[in-house]
Amino acid sequence: MMSPRPSRQEIVAAVVVLVFLVSFPWLNPGYRYLSLAITTGITSIALYGLGIQFGQAGIMSVGHAAFIGIGAYTAAILAGRLGVGFWLALPCSTLLSAVFAGLIGLPSLRVGGQHYIIITFCFCALFDLALTNGGTFTGAATGLDVGSIDPIFGLNFDQLRNSYYLVVVMLLICLLATYLMMNSSYGRTLRAIRENEPLARAVGINTALHKIGALMVSGAFAGTAGILQAYYLRHISPGLYGPFPSLYLALMVMLGGARLLYGPLAGAIIVSFLPEILKLDPIDSRIAYGIGLLVVILLLPGGVSSGLLEIYRWLMSGRRR
Amino acid sequence: MTVGSLEITGLRKEFGGVIALAGVDVSIELDRIIGIIGPNGSGKTTLFNIVAGVHKPTAGSVLWQGKDITGKPAYQIARMGVVRTFQQAMSYPGLSLRENVQIAFEHGRSRRHADKQKWDSPDEILDFVGLAGLGAEIAGSMPFGNLRRLGVAVALGANPLLLLLDEPAAGLSENETTELCELILRFPKLGIGVCLIDHDMYLMSTLCERLVVLNFGTKIAEGPPNIVLNDPKVTEVYLGNEI
Repeated sequence: MMSPRPSRQEIVAAVVVLVFLVSFPWLNPGYRYLSLAITTGITSIALYGLGIQFGQAGIMSVGHAAFIGIGAYTAAILAGRLGVGFWLALPCSTLLSAVFAGLIGLPSLRVGGQHYIIITFCFCALFDLALTNGGTFTGAATGLDVGSIDPIFGLNFDQLRNSYYLVVVMLLICLLATYLMMNSSYGRTLRAIRENEPLARAVGINTALHKIGALMVSGAFAGTAGILQAYYLRHISPGLYGPFPSLYLALMVMLGGARLLYGPLAGAIIVSFLPEILKLDPIDSRIAYGIGLLVVILLLPGGVSSGLLEIYRWLMSGRRR
Repeated sequence: MTVGSLEITGLRKEFGGVIALAGVDVSIELDRIIGIIGPNGSGKTTLFNIVAGVHKPTAGSVLWQGKDITGKPAYQIARMGVVRTFQQAMSYPGLSLRENVQIAFEHGRSRRHADKQKWDSPDEILDFVGLAGLGAEIAGSMPFGNLRRLGVAVALGANPLLLLLDEPAAGLSENETTELCELILRFPKLGIGVCLIDHDMYLMSTLCERLVVLNFGTKIAEGPPNIVLNDPKVTEVYLGNEI
C-alpha cells in the first residue's frame, strides 16, 4: 500500500528543522554551544532508535546507552587493534550494535512492560562492569583513546564545524529513515504490536520477528551514535555507557515525545541546552529534570512535542471558528 | 474429509490438573454458520484458542483444508485464512479505525491469489460492517457497539475463509444484536465460513445451521438447533434436572 504524500505542515516543519540545523554554525554559537550541539546531535541519533522501539513498537528500554557503548567500543577497538578507520568501522559499529540489541531483545518475547525494562537496566549495568573489568582489551576504567576521522572529499573533521555537519548529515538520515518507517506499513505493523499484541498475532503479524526487528533498528541507530561519539570525544570510558546515561536517554525521549517525528530531537535539545541556558549547576539540573519529567507524565503524556502539536491544532481550530 | 473444511479430531487440553477439553471432535464445513454453545467453563473459548494457535493442545489434531495446523503459531494460522475475534471487543485503541483495518489488510491471507477480491480497501470493509465515514476516528473513543463491529471489520480485513467469532453479541443491545445477525448472515454468501460461540440462544438458533454443545470439555450433542435445544441432555446442562 502506498504511503500518503507528505502534508503541507510536514513539509513546512521539515524545512524549518533543516534550515535550523544547517544554519546553526552561522549563528555564531561559539565553541561551547557548537560542541554542545554536536553531542546533542549524536544523542538525537540514538534517541531516534528509542523513538522507533518505544514510540512505535512500545518497547521501553533504560539500557540504551549500552548499545551506544557497543558502537563506540567497536570503533575504538577496531582502530586500536586493527588500525581500521572511521569509515570502515561505521558499518561494523552499526551492525554489531544491532545484533546485540536483537540478542538482548530476546527476553522481550517472553516478558513485557516493566519486566523487560528491568532486564535492559541489568544488561546496561553488566555492560558497564564488563567494560571496567575488560583489561587492556577495553582499557578498563580508564577507557580507550580514538584517533581522528580520516578526511573525505577534502573535509577535515578536526574542524568543529565539519564535525557538526557530519553529525547533522547522519541525524538527517536517521530522521528520514524514521519518517519513512512511521508512514509505511512497517510502521503500522509496529504500532499494532504496541497497541494490542494478541490482536496483531490474530491478524497474521509475526510479532516476535517484528519486535526483534524494531530493537535491531534501534540498536543500529545507537551504534551509529556510538561511533560518532567515540570519534568526537576522542576518548571513551565505561561511565559513559552505564545505567545513568541510559536513564537520561529515557528521560529525553519521554520529555520530547516518542511517537512524533521531532519528539526525540526536541527532547535532546531541551535536556542538553536548558541547563546551559538557565545556568543550572549539575545538581539543580537533575532536580529540574525530575520535576520536568513528572510534569510531562502528568500533563503531557505524549511529551513536549505532542503538547506543542495540540496547542497548534487548538490555535488553528480557533482561527477557523 | 472434504477439502475446504476444518477438522478437529480428539482435541484434548489440560491446564495443570484441569481438563478444559477432553477429546472433542468437530468438523466445520465452509459456506455455513456453525454454533458452539455450552455453559461457562465448558471449553468453548479454549477450543477457539487452540484452533487459532494461541494454545497448543495436549493431544488431538486440527486439520485445515487437509493441512495439519495443530500447534502452529497464531499468525501463520491467520495467514492461512482462519481468523478469530475476541470475547473482549479488541482493537488497537490508539489508532484510527482505518488503520485498525488496514493493519489486518496488510498482513492477513494474501490477496494476490485470493479467489475473489471481496473488498479493495479498508474503507470498503468499514462500510460493509456499518462504520462508514468513521475511518479517521480513534478506536479508543468509540462506543462499545462500534468496537464490536470494528472487531469484525479487523477480522474481515485479514481476508478470512473461516471466521471464529467468540461471543460477538456479548454486551450488545437487542437492536445491535439484530444488526449483527444480519451482518453475519451475509458471510457465507461471500465465501466466508462462520463458527461462533454465544450464549444468546435466540441469536444462535436464528443464525446457525448446526449447533455443537460442549459440557466440561466433552461434546454432548450436535445437530440442527431445534433438535439440539430440545435434547434433554442439553436442557439438563442449562436448566438442571426436572424435579
